[in-house]
Amino acid sequence: MTQGERLMASTAAPPARRVKKRVRNETAVAYLFLSPYLLVTVVFTVGIVAFALYISFTSYNLFESPTWVGLENYRKALADTGPSGFLRSLVNVFWYVITVVPFQTAIALMLAIVLNTPVRAQQFFRTVFYGPSVTSSVVIASIFLWLYLKTGVINYVFDQTFSLFGAQWTAIEWLNDPRGLFQIIANAFGGDIPSDQWLFRGPSVTWLALMALNIFTTAPTFMIMYLAALQDVPPTLYEAASIDGASKRQQFRSITLPMLRPVTLLIVVLGTIGSFQVFDQVKILTSGGPLNTTLTPVYLVYSEALGEVGGGSVIRMGLASAMAFVLAVIIFIFAFIQRRYIESGTEQY
Amino acid sequence: MKTRQWPIVVAILAMVLGACGGGDAATTAGGTATTDGATVTTDGGVVTTASGGGGAAGSCMGIAAEEGATIVFSGWGDETEQQVYRDSITRFNEACPGITVDYQPVPADFQTQMKAAFAGGEGPDVIYVDDQLMTALGRTGQLLPLDDFMAQAGVTREEFIPSLLTIFTLEDQTYALPKDWGTLGLIYLPEVIEAAGIEAPTGDWTWDDLRTAAQAIAANTDVGGFCQGADWARLAPWAFSHGGSFASEDATQAMLTDAGVIQAATLVADMHEEGSLVTAADVGAGWCGEAIGKKLVGMTLEGGWMVNFMNNDYPDVDWSAVSVPAGPEGKADVIFTNGIGVNAATEFPNAAAAFALFVTGRDNQAAITETGFAYPTREDQLSLITNENDLAISEGGTFDLTRVAFWGSNSGRVNDAVSKALERIFLGEQDVAAAFQQAQEEAQLALDEAA
Repeated sequence: MTQGERLMASTAAPPARRVKKRVRNETAVAYLFLSPYLLVTVVFTVGIVAFALYISFTSYNLFESPTWVGLENYRKALADTGPSGFLRSLVNVFWYVITVVPFQTAIALMLAIVLNTPVRAQQFFRTVFYGPSVTSSVVIASIFLWLYLKTGVINYVFDQTFSLFGAQWTAIEWLNDPRGLFQIIANAFGGDIPSDQWLFRGPSVTWLALMALNIFTTAPTFMIMYLAALQDVPPTLYEAASIDGASKRQQFRSITLPMLRPVTLLIVVLGTIGSFQVFDQVKILTSGGPLNTTLTPVYLVYSEALGEVGGGSVIRMGLASAMAFVLAVIIFIFAFIQRRYIESGTEQY
Repeated sequence: MKTRQWPIVVAILAMVLGACGGGDAATTAGGTATTDGATVTTDGGVVTTASGGGGAAGSCMGIAAEEGATIVFSGWGDETEQQVYRDSITRFNEACPGITVDYQPVPADFQTQMKAAFAGGEGPDVIYVDDQLMTALGRTGQLLPLDDFMAQAGVTREEFIPSLLTIFTLEDQTYALPKDWGTLGLIYLPEVIEAAGIEAPTGDWTWDDLRTAAQAIAANTDVGGFCQGADWARLAPWAFSHGGSFASEDATQAMLTDAGVIQAATLVADMHEEGSLVTAADVGAGWCGEAIGKKLVGMTLEGGWMVNFMNNDYPDVDWSAVSVPAGPEGKADVIFTNGIGVNAATEFPNAAAAFALFVTGRDNQAAITETGFAYPTREDQLSLITNENDLAISEGGTFDLTRVAFWGSNSGRVNDAVSKALERIFLGEQDVAAAFQQAQEEAQLALDEAA
């Protein structure tokens, strides 16, 4: 019994009844207009998620009917501590998120503030900076494929810069260098971290290169959001602050940043979700290599679901679904924490 | 609004009914045709012998094809390959005028698209099949066994180069027939060999000869000696010719720590260590074939694709090929092959099988070989290859120890374990023993999970 039906059944006075009837009609009309979208959502989102949840408890290869295996897929995913397993991919993506999200947010804010100041050819710069975001990530990745070559432009620039100061630059094979960040630091001090201790090696050079690429492409998108939000900050606040004698830095800290808080939350949450789901650059540039240092959960899910692990394997749709759900839970937890953390300070303004 | 929809509903109904009616008619006609065929040959009603049946409607390749059949054929391939198959279809239409072939090439992500299409029940009637699709489709009953049709058409498994059928055979049934194949040969630049002051490679070389030559090139010239990446396919000829294999014949046991593989890998690792073996990236090329084209190395292992690649991209570079060097157990090479299979759910199984058999058949293989596009799948037709370098490379297919690197449905993972082991060795992460011990464990897990 819907709310409307309950209201109909009640013995309210005629005028009130008429009002409630109108409410009921309005609700019905609203649902009528919403129905195309709702239908699509129920079938293609809710239905498919429910089906995927069911599949995650089964063994399924697309062609033979699924057989129930209980929690086996989740156990397999979470117990695989090997160098090409799901946990490895989670560790990789963890490095990715904690590097990419702060950098891209900071760079987006910086670009937005710079472009918000009235400079000559402001529109031109806005367009130029936004360029990487409107370009398809596949195209950007293909371009970086060349830039990152051992004989590519990036090594050339480093080489020229170093030689200016009389130093020697050893060309790096950016897309095929599994040395970890902490490992390189350890090497500098004469130590080493063996390969079975991959957890402590930190993100590889290649992974850092992909992070840089992703920051380059995503920061402008968030820059636009910051730019829009900056224009919503009332100029009167700045005027009042400057009359009170606040410096530019104080104004930034006490007015700009707090006023941008809701947008910052949005950007950090969207950035985190996007970073956890990193896939296309990995697929195009590294296929998870070298030595699995750029293996990500979504790439693993894709490979298992389509039977393309290592270029040809059994289709394990169940395992892929289980991994996808574990990833979804992790993303949800992160988004929840961020929301609590960032929103906690908003009320006072 | 309601009245407006009526024409559409009627049209859809008409189409559905029309399709059903058409199907019925075709089946009936096909039935009649087979009866005719049997009558012509007067062979006790055995339809299969109607092959020479004087143009009985629907008889093609000895198979009584459904009349009016339209079959969809899909494969990957660039423009060159598509043209080869359009020509094949033209030849097929001359031989079997009753069947219409709708060619729908899928140049990118073919395997992914086919898995999705078959899962949705919309797979083409005839498709390319590789080891990945054999795992996804062949093992799950999505492909039609071709043995009965082969018997009708007089095609035997024995006429093919033996290892070509490895991938497509499951429980003694043939699910696809090889459409072409490739293998590796020793590619070299005569001018580099000359500059290094050594004898040109021959088919009698051993891996040690290769090593000596690579050392000489590295020492006497300013280009790399021998180019090889951390790739299972390039290690395969080394390993097989040392008596090794990546896995046992029945694909249950990984064999990556056996003497053959370890000896081969040690030789490769030593060459890398001393600098006579370089990777493409070391010399600033995308792959070793390009390194040859750019004259950055003296020698490498590549296949027949070098002929077109060099003609197109580096037409002025003079290069040669001989068959791969020999190991202690003799000469061995690795074969790459793809086949053509039939959708088990096809509406026209006879016509589809006839087409698959025609394309992979002797006459069509000869015609394709003449174009220089691919190697013929029958050993007695190898002499039809005209290009000298192709001829030298294709010898690799005939050695006793030559095989396809196929180890059941998780082949990709097993081979990938080998590539990763080589990667770790080249990067100096692990020595040969440790790297292949790890690869052995990964490969064994993959074989265990293949089910």
